[in-house]
Amino acid sequence: MAQLSISSDITGTVWKVLVKAGDKVDEDDALLILESMKMEIPVTAPEAATVLEVLVTEGQAVSEGEVVVILDA
Amino acid sequence: MDQKFNVTELETRRQKALGMGGPERLARRRAQNVLNARERLDVLLDPGSFHESGLLTTSYRPEAKEKTPADGKVTGFGTVDGRPVAVVSNDFTVLGASSSVVNGKKIKHVRQVANDSGMPLVLLGESAGARMPDRMGAAGRAILGQDPTEYLRDRRTPWVSALLGSCYGSSTWYACLSDYVVMRKGATMAVASSRVTELAIKQTVDPEELGGWKLHTGTTGLVDAAVDTDEEAIELVKRFLGYMPSHNKEAPPRVEVPEGSDETILDILDIVPESRSQVYDVREVIRRVLDKDTLFEMKSRFGKSLVTALGRIDGKTVGVIANNPKFKGGSIDIDACAKATSFLVLCDSFNIPIILLADQPGFLIGIDGEKRGAPGRIMNWMNAISQVTVPKIAITLRKNYGQAYLNMGGGRNSDEAAAWPSADYGFMDPGTAVNVLYGVRYEDDPARFKQLVEEIAQDNAPWDLASLYELKDVIHPLETRSYLKSVLAVHSRSPSGGVGQHRLSGWPTSY
Repeated sequence: MAQLSISSDITGTVWKVLVKAGDKVDEDDALLILESMKMEIPVTAPEAATVLEVLVTEGQAVSEGEVVVILDA
Repeated sequence: MDQKFNVTELETRRQKALGMGGPERLARRRAQNVLNARERLDVLLDPGSFHESGLLTTSYRPEAKEKTPADGKVTGFGTVDGRPVAVVSNDFTVLGASSSVVNGKKIKHVRQVANDSGMPLVLLGESAGARMPDRMGAAGRAILGQDPTEYLRDRRTPWVSALLGSCYGSSTWYACLSDYVVMRKGATMAVASSRVTELAIKQTVDPEELGGWKLHTGTTGLVDAAVDTDEEAIELVKRFLGYMPSHNKEAPPRVEVPEGSDETILDILDIVPESRSQVYDVREVIRRVLDKDTLFEMKSRFGKSLVTALGRIDGKTVGVIANNPKFKGGSIDIDACAKATSFLVLCDSFNIPIILLADQPGFLIGIDGEKRGAPGRIMNWMNAISQVTVPKIAITLRKNYGQAYLNMGGGRNSDEAAAWPSADYGFMDPGTAVNVLYGVRYEDDPARFKQLVEEIAQDNAPWDLASLYELKDVIHPLETRSYLKSVLAVHSRSPSGGVGQHRLSGWPTSY
């Protein structure tokens, strides 16, 4: 088991949070959707994992490289 | 009789040279599952095709003569899939394949012959840097820079580098001059080793962090691909060469079209979402447009919001530049600009027609990009695309906003432009445009906001551009492959045999 920090690859706003702590996710599952450049940009799980913590809430501004979710893989 | 003409001595010297750095060092490599310099050539070249140049070379220094078989760099010529190549394979078991006077002459020779006879140069890299004490002191300087074209990259023939171990000095420089670079995971490439770095600037750094595959495929973009083994790396070198002409005075080779190539496009409408704000992976579109299984992506971990890939249509090599909404919504950042420019240089240098597939919401704006000189990178790309003389075909899939419309082949920046009916040409997203032009936000007056957005969106549809003959056609997505086949045949550049003017062949190698 290893902790995985998932960061945003773009500066924007959190539009929808799709998971909560304890949820199981598969590789490529969307964890949340950011809104930036008028696009809906999913942040996805790089591998199957359990969500440990969601660090952002809907409407919150995030910067490129900011950690938004922590997974346990 | 055996002694006549000293043939016995010849044999003895040959055997010593083929023994490389000695059985112990070779055994250590084998134990680590790493191939040696000559085994790598066996994997690369067609069996029996290697013509070695300089087997009997050694260091010119008396004290090093005995321990420098082939002077640490195995050089020569051979064939890959029946086509000639020149090769340099660094032998790390001989003084770390360090750069010396004699092995410098060897590289110079094969490079020269590659240019003169029109064959690619393949460099299998693993080198410690400059050989000491040869290059120490002021006298050491006197052996440097004796060849003013040593690091000249004029792209007369393709160069390919595989980084297969610790790469400092020669292997690093040649990789950065190459058209395609692959790295074995665990190999490193840097200006100086972590040991030198620690001594010189007191920065303790792990070699992997200083110059490992993640850094170079993801952050610097200096390496195109990373794989697990020497064999896989060399396999990619061969695949890349399969798309390339042997030199810039011929078109790339044409191969047979795989069966089933016209069928893969049938589900293309399922790939691309209709809502312009939703994302998809454009590589799934590219795969369906190209001949089956011919997609060969370059720099897939770098500047991911833009895809650059070689492939084939109707058996002939094409280069594809496509925005990828899957990453950053397809917005074009600095890395994507550098990636597009370097790919234009490759295609222009080697007579490869370019296909631009646009679906982008604009350049990625914001302080990070501006700090890194975004406007300069954008103009670098424009300067490059203006000089390209190979055919350029531009297709707009969905959105194609702002100034980036020109970078993606808009206007006279392509030879032929078409669009899907879903194309959306505006200067910015209709919602943003309503804010900027009318000062109306959704919250202020939802009904009026919606009405204005609809009006602007209607103006952005492709029909006006098609009626003004800016777009030569609007095509059904299912017709994309047949359209490209047909239009590439039309733009055959028959009088020159498909050979362009290579105005970008002297372009800098990274920027």
